[in-house]
Amino acid sequence: MTATHPEPAGNAEAQGRAPSSVAYDDWIVKAFVVATLLWGFVGMLVGIYIALELPFWPANLDSPYLTFGRLRPLHTNAVIFAFAGNVLFAGIYHSMQRLLKTRMFSDALSQIHFWGWQLIIVAAAITLPLGLSQGKEYAELIWPLDIAVAVIWVVFAVNFFGTIAIRKVKHLYVAIWFYMSMVLTIAMLHIVNNLALPATLTRSYPIYAGMTDALVQWWYGHNAVGFLLTTPFLGLMYYYVPKTANRPIFSYRLSIIHFWALVFLYIWTGPHHLLWSGLPDWVQTLGVVFSVMLWAPSWAGMLNGLLTLRGAWTRLRNDPMIKLWVVALTFYGMSTFEGPLMSIRDVNSLSHFTDWTVGHTHSGALGWVGMAAFASVYYIVPDIWKKKLYSRDLINLHFWLGTAGIVLYVVPLWVAGITQGLMWKDLDASGNLVHGAFMDTVRVLLPLYWLRLLGGLLYLGGLVVMIYNLVKTVRGEAAEPAAVPAPAK
Amino acid sequence: MTDEQVLGHADECDGIEEFDNPSPTWLNLMFLGTFVYAIFYFGWWHVWGNRSQAALYDAQVAAAEAAAPPEAKVALEVTPETVAAGQKVYTANCQGCHAADLTGATGPNLVDETWIHGGALEEIQQVIANGVASKGMPGWKPIIGEAKVNQVAAFVYDRSHQP
Ligand code: HEC
Ligand code: HEM
Ligand code: HEM
Repeated sequence: MTATHPEPAGNAEAQGRAPSSVAYDDWIVKAFVVATLLWGFVGMLVGIYIALELPFWPANLDSPYLTFGRLRPLHTNAVIFAFAGNVLFAGIYHSMQRLLKTRMFSDALSQIHFWGWQLIIVAAAITLPLGLSQGKEYAELIWPLDIAVAVIWVVFAVNFFGTIAIRKVKHLYVAIWFYMSMVLTIAMLHIVNNLALPATLTRSYPIYAGMTDALVQWWYGHNAVGFLLTTPFLGLMYYYVPKTANRPIFSYRLSIIHFWALVFLYIWTGPHHLLWSGLPDWVQTLGVVFSVMLWAPSWAGMLNGLLTLRGAWTRLRNDPMIKLWVVALTFYGMSTFEGPLMSIRDVNSLSHFTDWTVGHTHSGALGWVGMAAFASVYYIVPDIWKKKLYSRDLINLHFWLGTAGIVLYVVPLWVAGITQGLMWKDLDASGNLVHGAFMDTVRVLLPLYWLRLLGGLLYLGGLVVMIYNLVKTVRGEAAEPAAVPAPAK
Repeated sequence: MTDEQVLGHADECDGIEEFDNPSPTWLNLMFLGTFVYAIFYFGWWHVWGNRSQAALYDAQVAAAEAAAPPEAKVALEVTPETVAAGQKVYTANCQGCHAADLTGATGPNLVDETWIHGGALEEIQQVIANGVASKGMPGWKPIIGEAKVNQVAAFVYDRSHQP
């Protein structure tokens, strides 16, 4: 690696950003970054544990607290709300203050938001292994915690819109629009899906019954994916990609069009989780066609990111942060092609209930959400701690561990999903199941489950390398104020 | 794309410049294509196609029934053939409740000394055919047909009457 390009991070002047006189609240960004790394580690460790339990059940150690059924929601809640949630908050507090040239609306609200959110996570980490659950995927938390989430979210929303109100610039950059879609939509989804009548302190009954309940649940479930794991990460992309690459955004027009197309189309697609169910046929069809129409607007986001990096292609080979973004955007494109495909009834009848779904989930989660989160944090840490990044080679190592981990996670699960789906559909001449015993189909998958575990270990290894690198960065040399880059290690 | 102009509101966006390139034509066509697909898919199901999940199910069952060879009658008797055929029926339908080795799980043990409904071949056949709805044992005759009930009864009898 040579010293031909400026260190992008920690150096406002080098990027043509006017040194600002605004005193930004960087403490809150630091806090959310630390929480991201901590919970990311814990959440993925639990992911590895349940990935072990699937092929090797004795790992539950005969303890109810460690069974797959209780740890799985712990994993999903930890990675979605603690890892992805905290990194979004870190990125939002970091980028929005700078984009709007103002400190956050209220430091007190920022603090309540941070501590409240972490307390909720701790409460989740206690209640879920105890078996306390509402039994709705991604909405497992019991009703007192749901109320806490709603309150903290409103605190965040007030702070967020307050900051927009006191902004020092007129224009709202597209990243802010994407953040806004998350703040509003998640509030609506969370509240509507969790409406329930409490019976005891830990138990409640949803106000919806049967199919209505299922529909509301997946309207929530899919849009949690859409407005937590997709749109706000696109917001991060729109801020950190041009910052990292030091390049203009490819197209303003495209960013506006695909923003409105995404938010309009996403909200209708929930029924693709309930295909071939008791849901009325025409509602299922709506879910199918809106999912298919999401393909192009999703790819518009990928293209706008990749084409922004276009001017930095020469740096692709030696700038690991750009490589992280390229992988993130590519997996975003991959999973938003796969998703519409899986929404088509005939494909879904094969993929549903199989590991194909889990593979799709993690190509989005590890590939897009994870890599985008890492790339953003690698930008944020040197910038706010005002330190020089400890090692680019370690980022490169992280890049390879992460990418290899994703491939070893996703490819075996595609094979597993399609294999199992075909085995289930296999009928003999007189119409009987060829593989009548469910276990027969599971046994075939065991080697693939071991491979997935290996993929997870590599991916977590990458995160450990990252944490080491960042700790060294924070403890290390201060960034040089001038734009003279030091040769990387 | 050499003559791209930035929009020039970087000072409003923390130094981030933006081009205003048009969306690629192929992407626009793809977007349009998915709309056309959506209209046709909806119409195919609900307007001119008049499809429905229930009708598809009925059609599949009818096709399977038409294709299936007419079910040969199987007498209720314990022969190597009926026992071997019965084992397959058992694996496909029964082991979830009675366990692969017939020693019972949700349903009772079928290879011990005690019988709730009697251990004669006819008695076993009757309970399998009609089930015990109140206890959670399904009646199998409407599900798998008389021939298979006779085969699996022969299998259960054979395993439970090993010397
Ligand atoms: C859903 C669970 C379930 C399935 C599947 C099931 N059984 Fe049963 N079976 C039961 C239960 C429960 C009983 C006990 C009924 C009672 O207590 O009267 C039972 C009872 C029986 C008995 C009578 C036992 C006795 O002691 O008299 C026989 C024989 C039997 N089942 C055979 C079968 C066969 C053969 C199949 C597959 C074609 C089958 N069962 C599938 C649950 C099941
Ligand atoms: C080390 C990395 C990881 C490993 C080993 C891992 C492992 C697992 C396993 C074993 C399951 C259960 C699958 C099943 O039920 O068959 C699962 C589910 C899930 N994980 Fe992960 N995971 C990891 C990282 C992540 C990350 C970073 C995210 C999100 C950002 C995530 C989101 C999810 C979701 C949403 C589900 C539910 C999937 C579904 O219902 O289809 N995981 N994970
Ligand atoms: C255009 C975009 C997308 C569409 C149309 C789509 C569609 C689908 C479909 C059809 C399923 C399977 C439902 C089933 O059979 O039960 C699914 C599952 C899932 N998808 Fe996507 N997907 C898209 C993008 C994404 C992205 C980017 C992510 C992650 C960041 C993601 C995360 C998930 C998760 C977590 C599940 C599992 C839900 C469960 O628990 O069952 N999806 N998606």
